[in-house]
Amino acid sequence: MNGPNIPNGVGRRGFLASAAAVAGTGLVAADRSTAAAAPAPGTTGVPFHGRHQAGILTPAQRATAFVSFDVTADGRRELADLLRTITDRARFLTAGGTPDPAGITAPPTDSGTLGPQLPADGLTVTVGAGASLFDHRYGLGDRRPRSLTAMPSFPDDDLDPDWCHGDLSVQFCAAGTDTVLHALRDVARHTRGGMQVRWRMDGFVSTPRPTGTPRNHLGFKDGTANPDTTDAREMDRLVWVGKANGEPAWATGGSYQVVRAIRMLVEFWDRVSLPEQERIFGRARDTGAPLDGRHETDTPKYAQDPLGDVIPLDSHIRKANPRTAATADQRILRRAYNYDRGMDSNGNLDMGLLFCCYQQDLARQFETVQKRLAGESLVDYVKPFGGGYFFALPGARDSADWLGRSLLA
Amino acid sequence: MPEPRPVPVSAPPGAAVRRRRVLLAGGAIVAVLAVAAGVLAVGGWTRSRPRQAAASASDGLRHTSVEVSPGGCGRGWTRPEPGKQVFDVRNTSGGAAEVFLTDAKTGAVYAEVEGLGPGAVRRMPVTLGSGSYAFKCVPDDADAVTGPTVRITGGTSTGPAAVPVTQQDLIPAALAYQKWIQARMADLVKRTDVLRAAVDRGDLAAARAAWLPAHLVYERMGAAYGTFGDADAAINGTTAGLSGGVRDAGFTGFHRIEYGLWHGESAHGLRGPADRLDKAVRALRDSWPQQRMNPADLGLRAHEILENTVQFELTGRTDYGSGTNLATARANLDGTEALLGYLRPLLKTRDTGLPELDSWLDRTRRTLDACEHGGRWTPLSALDRTQREKVNADLGGVVERLADVAVLTDIRRTA
Ligand code: HEM
Repeated sequence: MNGPNIPNGVGRRGFLASAAAVAGTGLVAADRSTAAAAPAPGTTGVPFHGRHQAGILTPAQRATAFVSFDVTADGRRELADLLRTITDRARFLTAGGTPDPAGITAPPTDSGTLGPQLPADGLTVTVGAGASLFDHRYGLGDRRPRSLTAMPSFPDDDLDPDWCHGDLSVQFCAAGTDTVLHALRDVARHTRGGMQVRWRMDGFVSTPRPTGTPRNHLGFKDGTANPDTTDAREMDRLVWVGKANGEPAWATGGSYQVVRAIRMLVEFWDRVSLPEQERIFGRARDTGAPLDGRHETDTPKYAQDPLGDVIPLDSHIRKANPRTAATADQRILRRAYNYDRGMDSNGNLDMGLLFCCYQQDLARQFETVQKRLAGESLVDYVKPFGGGYFFALPGARDSADWLGRSLLA
Repeated sequence: MPEPRPVPVSAPPGAAVRRRRVLLAGGAIVAVLAVAAGVLAVGGWTRSRPRQAAASASDGLRHTSVEVSPGGCGRGWTRPEPGKQVFDVRNTSGGAAEVFLTDAKTGAVYAEVEGLGPGAVRRMPVTLGSGSYAFKCVPDDADAVTGPTVRITGGTSTGPAAVPVTQQDLIPAALAYQKWIQARMADLVKRTDVLRAAVDRGDLAAARAAWLPAHLVYERMGAAYGTFGDADAAINGTTAGLSGGVRDAGFTGFHRIEYGLWHGESAHGLRGPADRLDKAVRALRDSWPQQRMNPADLGLRAHEILENTVQFELTGRTDYGSGTNLATARANLDGTEALLGYLRPLLKTRDTGLPELDSWLDRTRRTLDACEHGGRWTPLSALDRTQREKVNADLGGVVERLADVAVLTDIRRTA
């Protein structure tokens, strides 16, 4: 035996599992660096390291859990430890591999719900900071991103405080629900004591029917018109916070994340005529084409329809994006999921949209669009009741980096 | 409220002690005998050859097939290599055995496979660095056999290991803890008497004041519930499992009285339940000296007390009106710390997380103490979100770390 190894980095239990050197017979502390062996075959991983976090430009995987946490860590050092732990777990889980054996010193380090070898399964773990993280507790007041506030209530909202805000957002997305839940359970376990779930909403992306963009619970293809995520310059203009945006330096490479839990009154919606449904969105339900086009990918030609005879002026797509030069920099990157969570007290189905979007500037983009949508015909059939504003942290560059390092440095 | 557990009256001998699944399945003693008989029937150890040596499997890890038998314990480990790897241990003998991979110098265990049946093959994943190692094969019915010492050089990390705890190691702790419980019994009876007397004379205000102190004495004795057996249901049962709910005749004890005291029941109606409670705690006190705690239960209890707190107190499930879940949580914490005190000598050399556990216990104590103001405990429902999250987080931090205590103090026979 080569004497007790002092654990370095974050342990099985992660949060506050600092090295505790204890001398004594046969006490061998693990080197707890998570060494990943080969992930289960046939599954692909989304790279974790980078200037930006994964899970933002990544095409929406099939399953998600969006979880808002309140941080219970005591002071700045513990907060740093918490973020390091989240990073380490995310790094390991997104790569997949074989969990470390615990021997007889602890329960198994892994829940086992994915078998002995973890698949990467396209998992992404995306972490954001809410405005409340910048309150008095951690001395981060002067580092708050410029327009990060608690999400206000918009005129058509009916917000439930139990479903709003949070110190941190962690969104898990993967091909399989089992992978999402496994990751949530792993992160919650390793951070136990450091943060508590405030609210959580799970979601899914439907199978494309018959092809193209998957549909939401209202029967419409949802996610068609989005900025081009393969265009790096467009992303730098619309999604990523850069040096020129007047934001604190640490925030470069991050993005404002808006999440809105929006209930859909699906029974009511099913009692609405098809032409009315289509006028509400400005698109055909079957094909997803704009009402002035044939194919889903056709571009609506608002200039040729100034009075809204074909695509009504107050239709969702026309209000959301008038497609003028003046509104071009207001575009947002949407990344929504469907949710389904049982029944309401009146016996109606409780389902809706876990709307999520990313932008460089909250006021210029999301809030402008949201305000323009105020009073649109769709509001009768949907009810935003929760969500929050978060700032998706800059990415972790390499295996030594961690999410939030620049914020806490 | 802890779930009822069958009561092993005395600690069964030998390796069977650690088969807690068997013990808990009920009919403890009978089950243990049956296991022993089975082992004898299969007969002694026979020899056969291991299949193959090192190989790589689909998990990308190095696999080594290793024999478990009296004559060939550890045979097959011919090409030692550092790193994360899997031993596929194969019992080539005629009887069940435990297998351990140990540090050849200290006896610390890196990995174990319990109850490996004849002919069975099981995975034993482990991470090994520089050091000398040896397999130990422990048949259920014979002495342990240690395989050859194998040296590994190189390798940066080694998985965690600990010297196993034996039944012998735990007996002093069990005896001391039993004494500690004994000392609480008098207090329990005394305070329950006060409660009963107040109900008897119809002074419900005094009864409400007397209820909590009596209840907390019992809640502090947490680790002994398994040994109390049916008495626990009579003293501290809830309505769970009772079809009649709070009106069920089977609803007795502290929570039954709590329900009445905080739901406007008359003193007359509460006299019966108070009498019965008083009798139950006296019977418990009188029978305690004849009880024997199973040493194998100590570590388990050290983590289960607060698991129950999380499940039943922090959810308010056991609140029948007094709003004192947090007081109960605090008493459960005391009970856990008392028990840990007796286990500490064993943990000091084994649990790297002990200082961390201690700091979480401190943190939790401070958080809970802040919920008491001049003897009045804040009801769960009166905590704001931040306070409630803090309580949940702290206790969460504690139970996460107490889990190691239970695993480390599981009784293992390696000799
Ligand atoms: C339950 C609520 C919502 C539903 C059912 C919904 C549905 C849709 C549908 C069916 C489309 C057309 C297909 C597509 O391009 O994706 C669309 C487009 C769009 N929606 Fe929503 N949406 C909702 C909420 C919102 C919110 C809250 C915002 C932002 C504040 C928003 C902004 C947009 C934008 C920017 C477009 C693209 C318009 C374009 O560029 O042509 N939507 N939405």
